[in-house]
Amino acid sequence: MVDKLLNRREFIGTTAVAGAGLLLEACKSDSDAQKAVVKKSSLNTLNVALIGYGEEGKILLESLLNIEGVRLVALCDIWDYHRNEGGRYLQKLGNEVRTYENYEDLLAKEKDLQAVLIATPDFWHAPMTNTCLKAGLHVYCEKMMSNTIDGARSMVKTMRETGKLLQIGHQRRSNPRYLFTLNRLLHEAKFCGRLTAVQGQWNRAVKEDFGWPKKFEMPANMLTKYGYKDMHQFRNWRWYKGLGGGPLSDLGAHQIDIFNWWMGTTPKSVMASGGLDYFKNHDWYDNAMVIYEYPMAEGVARAFYQVQTTTSAGGGYFEMFMGDDGTIKMSEDPSLCAIYREARADAVSWDDLTQKGYVRAKPTSAEDAAKVDVRETAQLAEYEIPVFFNKPPHQPHLENFFNTIRGTAKLNCPGDEAFTSEYVIHRANDAVAAQTRLVITTDEVRA
Amino acid sequence: MATHFQVRIANEEGSYAAQAAQAALDLLDTLESHLSRFRVNSDISKLAQLAPGDTMRLSEPAFACLEIAKKMEQITRGAFSATPAALQAQVSLPKWDLLREELSIRCESGKLQFDLGAIGKGFALDRMAELLHEWDCPSFLLVAGGSSILAGDPPRETPGWSCGLGDDNAPQRFFLTHTSLSGSGLAVKGQHILDPRTGGPALRQNRAWALADAGAESDALSTACMVLSEPELEGVLAQESSWLVFLETEEKILTVGNRIAPPSA
Repeated sequence: MVDKLLNRREFIGTTAVAGAGLLLEACKSDSDAQKAVVKKSSLNTLNVALIGYGEEGKILLESLLNIEGVRLVALCDIWDYHRNEGGRYLQKLGNEVRTYENYEDLLAKEKDLQAVLIATPDFWHAPMTNTCLKAGLHVYCEKMMSNTIDGARSMVKTMRETGKLLQIGHQRRSNPRYLFTLNRLLHEAKFCGRLTAVQGQWNRAVKEDFGWPKKFEMPANMLTKYGYKDMHQFRNWRWYKGLGGGPLSDLGAHQIDIFNWWMGTTPKSVMASGGLDYFKNHDWYDNAMVIYEYPMAEGVARAFYQVQTTTSAGGGYFEMFMGDDGTIKMSEDPSLCAIYREARADAVSWDDLTQKGYVRAKPTSAEDAAKVDVRETAQLAEYEIPVFFNKPPHQPHLENFFNTIRGTAKLNCPGDEAFTSEYVIHRANDAVAAQTRLVITTDEVRA
Repeated sequence: MATHFQVRIANEEGSYAAQAAQAALDLLDTLESHLSRFRVNSDISKLAQLAPGDTMRLSEPAFACLEIAKKMEQITRGAFSATPAALQAQVSLPKWDLLREELSIRCESGKLQFDLGAIGKGFALDRMAELLHEWDCPSFLLVAGGSSILAGDPPRETPGWSCGLGDDNAPQRFFLTHTSLSGSGLAVKGQHILDPRTGGPALRQNRAWALADAGAESDALSTACMVLSEPELEGVLAQESSWLVFLETEEKILTVGNRIAPPSA
């Protein structure tokens, strides 16, 4: 009997255990539109296609389903298991879509599209994005832009040549809590004072590689056609060089992008250590620790980032901006967000910040004015960021993309800006390989 | 659903079974992101913000789970509720309707403070079982928090998965196949079950178990058993021949319902 602990979930495999105690509804109330009759699109109702219905594609779809005025008309995935699952799921929601194995077939047949969402493995992002932009479509492409710097650069070039929109899926850039905290607390109130350090992490517990139901194994010739050596590589592409960029790119990209965004600049150097020390059947590092040096106006601020795929360390992914007056800890998970103020920071008071609506005192139990209980010294009042945000994390970023198509917004993460962030992530991978400090110039980070 | 889940797979090569189990646990994470009241962005958390008259689109799993919850509320005549603690904070139970055409929910009155703790685990087991069938792993036993289990095909050369009523190595045991069994009681978590009809504590002090074809049903029914009187329970079970209930008394375990009990182990 195999007995493995998987977080708080458990798998007990047994081959002989005798006696073992052992979605798319874009037009939510428009029933006509739900019967596969694709109406002519307009800026009021955008027709879109989703290319890639794996883990990330499913997350995008759930957000897309909440957005008014967007209609998913086509779904593409090379794997019939995922493709049919997506088709069935959408059918259950009353939305028929046309399904495709090949994105070029989709582009050839779907003549009334305004935009595509690309959520395929990284090495497909550049060719797909470039083809779709050239076909006259706006593109929302998941991060990383590409598994190579050249691939990412080509996407920016095509974006500029075609004049079409290219939004990269660094979704925190549209997160209302991030935007509020950056603009109000960090910039306006200068809550952190002089930024001296940054820390970020995303750690994950060990888990089984992705498998596949035997009966849905793709034929070898199809795997080869789409760039995979075998089914294991197809399902676990993130671990393979030439297909993905490893954990620094998969997980680190989210936090390192925020480093650059909030610091308002790019690092001048990177040093890193990491390796493939735990897993035996992967290409990419399973852990890495990175230090960037950011040239700030008042001096250098160092940023430390770690990604572990061998321990969750209790879980958690966050970015922490530390200054001589205070610290802001941000995360997509609101329960991990926190703000701390140094005792020396007397320029701005909690009361002022509260009055402006920039922070809120955490609720405490109601006091009865007629009573008092004497006990240990009470805790100091705690404050929090007063932005409640009840949409799926990717939804605002998609809304920003669609609103920009309609001309009512500006992209929060256009391809050229994303390139700057992603460049320094690629360089962190280079630094792990080189085992030395690498200089990053302000020219090379621009596409 | 913040609890411990187990996936046991028999009659299958070890590494393939481990991958299938991982896929089932990944699915569980997705379901939890929709159904957990402890997740700020879950459907269930967001529903608490609806005002009377508001509607909200639900994810497919949340809609399907609430659809079963609605059915269980009706069949148990309110002894099971998806908003069990509402009467502690509101003068009456909130009212809600599901709009199938739009896959939406409408708040009719009150505040929709859902807690799917008494149905979500079983619902998750049902969905995980569907996935294991896709993987051609039909011989499984899924366990949620030790209080709900769902058995598939039996392990090779056995009549079923040996499952006991009560504590470890309980004397009353059954061989289960294609069946779900859920238990409720006060021994582990103390008095935590409320009668949604009155807002008061559960009537029953001893354990109750419910057996059904689907995990969501057995999970909800076992909780309802804690607040139903025996005559009320008999009335409920008269409507549903696929359910069987075991009630712990001081002397023995009573069997209630028309379904034939599974073979003893």
